[in-house]
Amino acid sequence: MPEWMTVALWIAAAVVLATIALGLVRVERGPSNGDRMLAAQLLGTGAVAVLLLLARAADAPALLDVALVLALLASVAGAVFVRRLGVQPVQRGQDRTAEDGP
Amino acid sequence: MAAEVHALDFVLVVLLLWLGWRALASADLFKAVVQFIVFGLLVSLAWVRLGAPDVALAEAAIGAGLAGALLLDTLARLGRKGATDEVRPLGLTPARAGIALASLGLVILLVASVLALPESWPGLTAPALQQLGASGVTNPVTATLLNYRGYDTLLEIGVLLLAVLGVWILDAEAALPAAPADPMLSLLLRVLLPLTVAAAGYLLWVGAHAPGGAFQGAALLAAGGVLWHLARPLSLPASRPVRAAVVLGFAVFLGVGVATAVFGGGFLTFPPAYAGAVILLIEAAAMVSIAVIMVALFVGRPAQGTK
Repeated sequence: MPEWMTVALWIAAAVVLATIALGLVRVERGPSNGDRMLAAQLLGTGAVAVLLLLARAADAPALLDVALVLALLASVAGAVFVRRLGVQPVQRGQDRTAEDGP
Repeated sequence: MAAEVHALDFVLVVLLLWLGWRALASADLFKAVVQFIVFGLLVSLAWVRLGAPDVALAEAAIGAGLAGALLLDTLARLGRKGATDEVRPLGLTPARAGIALASLGLVILLVASVLALPESWPGLTAPALQQLGASGVTNPVTATLLNYRGYDTLLEIGVLLLAVLGVWILDAEAALPAAPADPMLSLLLRVLLPLTVAAAGYLLWVGAHAPGGAFQGAALLAAGGVLWHLARPLSLPASRPVRAAVVLGFAVFLGVGVATAVFGGGFLTFPPAYAGAVILLIEAAAMVSIAVIMVALFVGRPAQGTK
């Protein structure tokens, strides 16, 4: 693999990580718990992407297995959320007014 | 290979510190749980950057996957009693000041001990790699966990065993009443369960020569079990078959240890010729037990009560 390609992969991984940082804003602000959970699911996908990029950039095929495990387990937390806590769209309007607190 | 690598590491460290603080300080417990799940994802990436893919795999499977599911379920059980989103003011009380001082003391001790380390210490890497040929596996981490320091892993399985016994013994909160069947969840289960079982078997096998092993495989199996429980509620009372599955890993490990002590070179000293097969046997039994233990921890006490 040419040198510039490795550099490009590292930069791509850093950019995806930066989008994870942006996704954390959604986790922090919500407003509903469903938004937070979906943001976490999206961040899980982001982490899988970072791992896949690093696996190529650092030439470490073991990271593909880590990405596989993350991808397989990502849906479990979402399923527990939907089954046990549930999405509550009713609270959306109420939360939005109280959202600007600290 | 300098600036771009450092940029990635810098973003990772900043995010970890921020998330760790937010997960502890959030007054909203649900937000804290979600932040803890994302924290697990990033810790897994951090282990990758530290060159420890084995730990990254374990963190991805247990920290980001199952711990999140357990915490969300716990939150749902708390919510039923009306204890939702307990507000925790961040004021300074004497108890908190004491904890902060003790933590500071611990940090100073740790920093001092790191500074006291010799500048160049050869470490145990060389002897571990030197003995790899006689360990039965080619992945030095698996060799360390199952052969050189089998004791540690045996006791770790014992800890998990005690945890599930604790859940069974304590008069814990009963499971939530089952929700009506969900067609989408059944579909997810049908697609995902075969994949988790196949991936678990793969991780168990690959552990001999690459990152993987019983704990990671068990976490995948347990994830399949948790999904099953969500789609079609399981009942895992402390019946004879369940108890047998729970103690299987510990019993096989201990049995091998006693056998090697009586017939061989000592407790958990595997003969090099059979070491590979013995490690695979122990790991397979441990994987089944750990998976059942994790699902039993999630399911908890049966709803109808056994008393």
